[in-house]
Amino acid sequence: MESCLGAISRAVEVGNAKQVVKTVKEALTTGVAPLDILERGLVPGIQALGKLFKDGQAYLPEIFISCRAMDRGIEELKPYLAGTNIHNKGTVVLGTVEGDLHDIGKKLVRLMLESNGFRVEDLGVDVSADSFVSAAHEHSANIVGMSTLLTITMPYMSKVINALEQAGLRHKVKIMIGGAPVTREFADEIAAEGFAEDCVSAVDEATRLMKL
Amino acid sequence: MGISNRERFLAICRFERPGDLSLLTPYINDFWPETLELWVKQGAPEHILDSRFRRAYFQFEHIRILREIKLGIYSDRRLDIGGAAYVYETPPIVPLYQPSLISEDEHTITLINEGGQKVRVFKDSPQKMPMFLDHPVKDRASWEEYKKRLDPDTPERWPSDWDAYVQKMNSRDEPTMLNVGSFFGFLREWMGLESLLYMFYDDPNLIEEMMDQICYLETESIKRVVKNVRVDSAMFWEDMAFKTGPLISPDMFRKFMMPRYRQVTDMLRSSGVDVIFVDSDGNLNELIPLWIECGINSFWPLECAAANDAVALRKKFGRNTILGGNIDKRALLKGKNAIREEIMSKVPLLLESGGYFPSVDHFVPPDVTWENYRYFINSLREVAGLSKLPE
Repeated sequence: MESCLGAISRAVEVGNAKQVVKTVKEALTTGVAPLDILERGLVPGIQALGKLFKDGQAYLPEIFISCRAMDRGIEELKPYLAGTNIHNKGTVVLGTVEGDLHDIGKKLVRLMLESNGFRVEDLGVDVSADSFVSAAHEHSANIVGMSTLLTITMPYMSKVINALEQAGLRHKVKIMIGGAPVTREFADEIAAEGFAEDCVSAVDEATRLMKL
Repeated sequence: MGISNRERFLAICRFERPGDLSLLTPYINDFWPETLELWVKQGAPEHILDSRFRRAYFQFEHIRILREIKLGIYSDRRLDIGGAAYVYETPPIVPLYQPSLISEDEHTITLINEGGQKVRVFKDSPQKMPMFLDHPVKDRASWEEYKKRLDPDTPERWPSDWDAYVQKMNSRDEPTMLNVGSFFGFLREWMGLESLLYMFYDDPNLIEEMMDQICYLETESIKRVVKNVRVDSAMFWEDMAFKTGPLISPDMFRKFMMPRYRQVTDMLRSSGVDVIFVDSDGNLNELIPLWIECGINSFWPLECAAANDAVALRKKFGRNTILGGNIDKRALLKGKNAIREEIMSKVPLLLESGGYFPSVDHFVPPDVTWENYRYFINSLREVAGLSKLPE
């Protein structure tokens, strides 16, 4: 079983979607439990890729193809995992703040969070404070993640935090922010608990926030 | 007899004028259109909206970009949206696409621009970077169609009266810059970033073919330009990095881009063009050594938020690199003390070492006030021993 799961991990790590589907099917045929395939095959593969990214041995194309491969693997498993919450690490409401239409950084964060077991509600771009609040309430979010590429929309992050405060939700959620001009100092300034420089560190940061 | 603007530019690039403050424009010292409009409301002279007035007012040095030759990417196309301009970049395609409105809602307009991109733009602030919804190149078949717009011999690519153009450009007392395009940046404009990044794995041959076509367009065009026109510098535009590093690996860069860059830079250098500049946002620390290997020697804007450090680059690469920018725009938001601190931490050393063109680390955003920007320019002038700008 271990070699079978190792092959799945390796296929995810190198982003080979066809190989992932093939090895997942083989594992299922040989009787490996679907949850084991997920947790001991697919997830370690994406985690290995995350480590490579942190070490400067993988870049964004590799993130994209590995997340795609992971997704294909999960699709194969879904019929066998009915009723199982596979995104059980926590719920993240994610969006690019109002006034900003940038998408790609946030999308990468979503892909990596989902691949690592988080449930993500992606609100898209140009998201108002009210929308963040409604979504945090509706989905019982653990984390509200905000992104921006522009200095002029950075202050809007503070506005969202205030809106969560006013809605009585602030104590229920942790805030994680990111984007080109955003720094850890800025996160501290606006009392956001989390800050991530890229999509891989967003997974680490979200994991850390879930433990607070 | 004094030194000409052109000679001065080249002398700074060759590290022959330590301490000389040259604030180049356009591009290096440039602004979001919205910034200028806000400055007028804050008390700036209304003429500040005019580039010639602005140049004289701030005592900028003009670099003549040879934009009449459609070879690079230019941010000079505009569509009127509710009385404000949506300014956007177009690659060197001939003909351009016919712009068309797709839909609109309360806050945004969705349209096809002349680059063939489907974009969503804010109605009340069309200057902001739009959301890209679709791109003209999706696969091999759409590439074959698109490629027809990249023929170097298309007459519309060139000034209609070439001889008159040559004479005009060669008689100017200002440095010239030829925009020589882009390898990664063009492909991203044509395909969208996500599709492009997948394509490096899904169909690397198509990437190679697209880059070959760019290389062909660029080298054929450069041959024709340098034969007649005095070119002082060349510029690539890539924007191929994000906050912590490059968008593709150094291995991919070497495989796909390096050989083609070399063809272009070899041609430029053999024609005497040895100031070869690249514009890329993001963290360039891994890319700069690769670009140097490709024959590129000048880098801007060196964004501070992406951990670029011009002082460290100067120490590391010495006279192998001409640097521009790297003055943190966020300091200009904070106020005079922060501006002074930012300038004093790097500009004296960089100016004295030569080969440095100061500017904010990208276009000046609208949250920088008129007062702070004037203070910024005056502080730079003070470092160079120049008097303040007139009130």
